[in-house]
Amino acid sequence: DLNYFHSQTTFVVDEITTVIKEAVESTIGNSSYQHSKINQWMSGIVESSLSQLTKLGKPFKYIVTCIILQKNGAGLHTASSCFWDNSTDGSCTVRWENKTIYCIVSVFGLAI
Amino acid sequence: VSFMDAGANTYLIRPNYKDKFKAGAAKECIREILREQLYGVQYDPEEVPTLSRALADSIKHKLRDVGFDRYKLIVQVVVGEQRGEGVKMAARCFWDADTDSYAQDIFMNDSLFCVAAAFGVYYY
Repeated sequence: DLNYFHSQTTFVVDEITTVIKEAVESTIGNSSYQHSKINQWMSGIVESSLSQLTKLGKPFKYIVTCIILQKNGAGLHTASSCFWDNSTDGSCTVRWENKTIYCIVSVFGLAI
Repeated sequence: VSFMDAGANTYLIRPNYKDKFKAGAAKECIREILREQLYGVQYDPEEVPTLSRALADSIKHKLRDVGFDRYKLIVQVVVGEQRGEGVKMAARCFWDADTDSYAQDIFMNDSLFCVAAAFGVYYY
């Protein structure tokens, strides 16, 4: 039916947000900022997000970016500009934090 | 006898070598825009949202001007305050490595740092 078709061929923000939140929680859930673990955390978050996204089985190419920031009072801002097909492509950004870490994950999905 | 138009079999599903997303050229575009727009700029929390959006848009326009037909473009810009703290940014992509690519550049001055990444994804 048309709704199913629509959900399979367009970027569904809510679904993707849930996937990403789980990936971040499971990788850095209760951790405190530790410089030595950053590389491991970044790879973990990005890789598990990407594998969960591909498991959705939709005809999309994905780009996942992740920024991890120590909570130090400094300001940070991200912006993106995209040239794509508005009817099928989309992006979503998930901001996650705990007492010592900020984590920002952006996902861009482009329909094939 | 078969009748074939001159225009048959001309739809490309892979870019020619000269039409590929060139990471080097894209990096130059990014570098120029960052240098031009951030030279001497101080980190100002009121201005930064507008600034980062403007940077992303300028980079995207410049890349469109360079060419890269049949490519969908994604430009992500991160601007942060320089306070000596640790920041790390990573990206991973699920795409077609033959046709798709990315370019990035970093700009730093005393009060801010800026990371810009541009991804080019071929549209079949």
